[in-house]
Amino acid sequence: MTPFQAASAHYTRRQFFGKSALGLGTAALASLLGGNAFGAGLAAGRRAVPGLPSLPHFAPKAKRVIYLFQNGAPSHVDLFDYKPKLREWHGKQIPDELTGGKRFSTMTGNQTARPVLGEITKFAQHGKSGAWVSSFLPRMAEIADDLCFVKSMHTEAVNHAPAITYFLTGSEMAGRPSMGAWLSYGLGNETEELPAFVVMTSRDKEASCGQIFYDFYWGSGFLPTKYQGVAFRGSGDPVLYLSNPAGLSREVRRGLLDDLAHLNEIKREEFADPEIATRIAQYEMAYRMQASVPELTDLSKEPASVLEMYGPDVKRQGTYAYNCLMARRLAERGVRFVQVMHAGWDQHRNLNTQLKIQCDDVDAPSAALIKDLKQRGLLEDTLVIWGGEFGRTPFLQGKIDDVKQWGRDHHPYAFTLCMAGAGVKPGFTYGATDEFGFNAVENRVHVHDFQATVMHLLGIQHEKLTYKFQGRNYRLTDVHGHVVKDILS
Amino acid sequence: MLSLLPRARSFGAAFAAGLAAAATASAAEAIDFNRDIRPILSDACYHCHGPDAAKREAKLRLDEREGLFRTKDDVTVVVPGKPDASELIQRIVSPHEDEVMPPPDAPRQLKPAEKELLKRWIAGGAPWGRHWAFTPPVRPTVPAVPDRAAAARVRNPIDAFVFARLAAEKLAPAPEADAAALLRRVSLDLTGLPPTPEETAAFVADRTPGAYERAVDRLLASPRYGERWAWDWLDLARYADTNGFQGDPERTMWPWRDWVVNALNANMPFDQFTIEQLAGDLLPNATRDQKIASGFHRNNMYNGEGGRIAEETRVENVFDRVETTGTVWLGVTFSCARCHDHKYDPIMQKDYFAMYDIFNQMSETGKLGGGGQVAPILDVSTPEELAAVKTATARVDAAGKAVEAYELKKFPRPEGKPLSESPDALKLPGNLPAVLAKVEPKRRGVDALLEAVPYFRDTAPDPEYAALLQASLDAVRARNNANSRITKVMIMDELPEPRETFILNKGNYEAKTDVKVVGAVPAVFQTAAAGAPAARMNRLGLARWLVSPENPLAARTAVNRAWQAFFGTGFVKTAEDFGVQGEPPSHPGLLDWLATEYVGSGWDTKALHRLIVTSATYRQSSRSNAVLQERDPENRLLARGPRHRLPSWMLRDQALAAAGLLVEQRGGPAVKPYQPPGIWEEATFGKKTYEQDHGEALYRRSLYVFWRRIVGPTSFFDAGSRQVCTVKVARTNTPLHALVTLNDPAYVEAARVLAQRVLGAGGDDRAKLGAAFRFATTRGPRANEAAILQSRLGKLRAQFAADPAAAKALAAAGEAPRPAALDPVEHAAWTALCSLILNLDETLSKE
Repeated sequence: MTPFQAASAHYTRRQFFGKSALGLGTAALASLLGGNAFGAGLAAGRRAVPGLPSLPHFAPKAKRVIYLFQNGAPSHVDLFDYKPKLREWHGKQIPDELTGGKRFSTMTGNQTARPVLGEITKFAQHGKSGAWVSSFLPRMAEIADDLCFVKSMHTEAVNHAPAITYFLTGSEMAGRPSMGAWLSYGLGNETEELPAFVVMTSRDKEASCGQIFYDFYWGSGFLPTKYQGVAFRGSGDPVLYLSNPAGLSREVRRGLLDDLAHLNEIKREEFADPEIATRIAQYEMAYRMQASVPELTDLSKEPASVLEMYGPDVKRQGTYAYNCLMARRLAERGVRFVQVMHAGWDQHRNLNTQLKIQCDDVDAPSAALIKDLKQRGLLEDTLVIWGGEFGRTPFLQGKIDDVKQWGRDHHPYAFTLCMAGAGVKPGFTYGATDEFGFNAVENRVHVHDFQATVMHLLGIQHEKLTYKFQGRNYRLTDVHGHVVKDILS
Repeated sequence: MLSLLPRARSFGAAFAAGLAAAATASAAEAIDFNRDIRPILSDACYHCHGPDAAKREAKLRLDEREGLFRTKDDVTVVVPGKPDASELIQRIVSPHEDEVMPPPDAPRQLKPAEKELLKRWIAGGAPWGRHWAFTPPVRPTVPAVPDRAAAARVRNPIDAFVFARLAAEKLAPAPEADAAALLRRVSLDLTGLPPTPEETAAFVADRTPGAYERAVDRLLASPRYGERWAWDWLDLARYADTNGFQGDPERTMWPWRDWVVNALNANMPFDQFTIEQLAGDLLPNATRDQKIASGFHRNNMYNGEGGRIAEETRVENVFDRVETTGTVWLGVTFSCARCHDHKYDPIMQKDYFAMYDIFNQMSETGKLGGGGQVAPILDVSTPEELAAVKTATARVDAAGKAVEAYELKKFPRPEGKPLSESPDALKLPGNLPAVLAKVEPKRRGVDALLEAVPYFRDTAPDPEYAALLQASLDAVRARNNANSRITKVMIMDELPEPRETFILNKGNYEAKTDVKVVGAVPAVFQTAAAGAPAARMNRLGLARWLVSPENPLAARTAVNRAWQAFFGTGFVKTAEDFGVQGEPPSHPGLLDWLATEYVGSGWDTKALHRLIVTSATYRQSSRSNAVLQERDPENRLLARGPRHRLPSWMLRDQALAAAGLLVEQRGGPAVKPYQPPGIWEEATFGKKTYEQDHGEALYRRSLYVFWRRIVGPTSFFDAGSRQVCTVKVARTNTPLHALVTLNDPAYVEAARVLAQRVLGAGGDDRAKLGAAFRFATTRGPRANEAAILQSRLGKLRAQFAADPAAAKALAAAGEAPRPAALDPVEHAAWTALCSLILNLDETLSKE
């Protein structure tokens, strides 16, 4: 019996559950305090945090999500969406009928010369599925038969922050709950040792870009703040203020918390305020996180072969590789939504140097995560998403003879996103762009459609997970969104 | 007249179960259209049969009287007295899929009890009324309290309303709180700080009449009052020290913040407070202070992302100003109407853009210029600030010279030619050729140096060069910091030639329709009494209208927010929404009585606060019991006093005060207390470094803590994001909060210094324990509590005696001085114990 269990068995559980007339949130408290007496439906000895009683709406394919968000927008025409036409037209002005009336960022909005830029990488077909993947992503190419490519994504936003906010919250303006917040609100968590929604961020080593990680990318909007993502830090304690102060041992802390709970319990008996019971439980949870988070980040038991897959950066806290491994460890421990964000894809004038560097950072860890999940049987009920907030222009930003400074601007009209795991067809490609990779023309998938599909995989009817705020029922997909049934396995 | 309706059913249950409870009303009760019927129609019908003309089905509008009672083609929607002849009833009970309403696939379906209620309402004559919030408050008669014991406790009309209601619910008010607890409650509420043990002792001992009122007057007169109440206003004004978004440049809006504190302390009437903040610049002969006040609507976020279209930013800023104004002074959600007519409230898209036109007349362009200080600005810089920039610039130049000299050797090139002609320099990777080779050393920016330093430190090591570049980076950062500290307040202005405003299709900045609109208040608020609207309302006109008797909502929303601050929940729980989808008020009569009282007093905010805190309602003990928890878990009926966890910013102030560390210097630029390393760096890719202050700045009130918009201060939790207008802050209870008050160095240091304080005062353990407990809670521990603490103290002494290194470390937490003579073991044991006391639920709560 852990000290916590001993303490709760000593007084807490008996007293709390003997007095349900006080109107305590008994179910919530049961989940917080846990124990086998309340352990119906719990997997692998873990205690779950319940979500809404009405959820899921139907049997889910996916129990959890790992979203590998590629901030800055990877170039679809250089990485996944192979268009021989671009080579043919390289250097020639892109047809006006494509660009006419279209909105671009101010960086090319006023540029009149818009020469087509052929892909700067080499494409080849991979696996049984024959998916086209660039030579810059060899490890992801190896697992092409596990991936489901959506090549017809499109959005409205042309700037990073609004476009990312759109993907993650359903609105371009900050302030709505993010996807992870919706899911932890609706579905709860499979563990109470760790938060339901964890965020980890990293950037390219050269720090070539300025995209900032705003906390509203994982905000709870108008949902209670307990649903916001917990951002694990890239250095020091992964959770803020996790460590006891210097000189205060875990043993001393245990004793202090026992007395604190005892004193608070005296207060609760006198004031009959159920918040006090919750507070006692939350202090205990904090104590447990002080153990569970270091256990989570202790990589000493990871086999060398696993570490190797993720690449040389895997042991360096704050890198994409480390975060990918951590994502698997979080998924294993029952965390509902892991949002890994990697910045550095914004190649406006350094495509020829930066894209390769960026791919090197991301390729092996992304592929390793999927392989690792698969070999542990976790890919069956974990959905992995890989993609950015928009694509990049098939035409050039900059001057065609200034090769070193070639770049591509933001491009909301078409881009590629891929998924793997629970409920999506492996080795499958959906949707297509025109011959320039400019517009999504076949089986177009909007941001809201993508969101509706993710919700569907988790057993949620996206129209029905709503929250009333300012008199209106809000939802992740606003008033839009259609489930893309064709990609479901 | 709005007065309390007699009710037999349980009000508490109605709140607990919402509409479902309303629908279970027994047949004997009177049905109130606004309370019982409109919410059903709004929720289930307005989406397709409401104010939004574009989405309206069958041209049928049920939110207005005409539509609800209309007859068309011999079909009448509602026939008063005759449910069976009413099409509304026919449709909701129809067994036919193509006829029944709401349609079978609509997300909101009617419950059987709701259908029954609609029938009964029609059978009872179908009385109709305008939505209460859109009708001006009429001063209600103060009700008599039937219960004699409760009546005897009435101190002012607030109590008459509350106790009359309790009597109807067969509940009695709680006894008055203990003196010490009451003084702590009112001190925290009015000043954000706890009373000192001396103040508490004096108050507890003072048995003369009016002792409490004198304490209240002392607190209202304290300059701490303005600091406490400014916090709520800053949340709503989305005040921060940076712009937000990419680059997140610093701004210097603190003179506006100080204006708010001063105005609150001077008890500036709320109508003037409103007018000066919305349109101080437009007042005749506007003073410097009035112009600063107009910075209210420059506190919004500002997107200066590279490649950003300026007009898009400008338009979004105007949206924010319209919507913030709507939330604060009208309690109406405007954001829906940005794209289409409101689905529930009578706010049309053209109303939205008429308000938009009022805020569309400023010279702001949407471009980023001047870092975080975007024109129009008011320069209030000081000679010291300018001198600091000069010094910092000289340092940049000197560092640049050193780099230049080294680069002459490092990058060979033809005699007399610049670095940009060195082939080696041009071969550098990444952005370095553009940002380093082609830029003179003293003109290089943070981005360039951030890329260069790691490259020459790690990738192509040249330690001497890397060190010079690092020195250059430090100098540039210091210069940028000095620049950002030149105080310029962003203010409002008005274009000489008005800009034309067209409705934007779906709120898209570039989708101008050909529908031109001019400044006006929403049609629903235009009354015959006010006469025909002026040709084009400007900001000053709007500000004056908002606090005129024509606006039914300014006083109600203000009074509601005040109530929320004292009692945890407003009369209208949805403080941001008084519209038809908002929750109806718990005490409609009291809300309107207070609103009219507020206006009648000349918008005297201190008088309003005094009235509330001197009521017997407020003075009740917050002890609850099983029956009350069952009946009214949220305490909406007010049969007990408020009990809530304090806001996190107040917890920090309280801990500083308990330790005697608090430094009460008022106003001025923001300060940077303890923060774990790397927070800003991680969020900004190293572009912003947090330079923690030292000395007194560590112990200033939370109000003065620097607020970086993209990553707020880490010591605060459940705080408004300061990104958009927030009128209702969260109060959640999570393990992450526990970690802050247990482990944040600010709290550990407070515990350590509180330990010093009680150890220094002498006496035996019991006396010291009592003192520590009193600093945190204003009361001494009871015997059972003292026994637990005393026993813990013994264990802690043994634990730290066994580990002197640990004792030394804990006894040295934080930067505040510590008496060298103090025994580290004893000090550490008391530090741990004080940390426990600072984490008691009672310490964390307003009780």
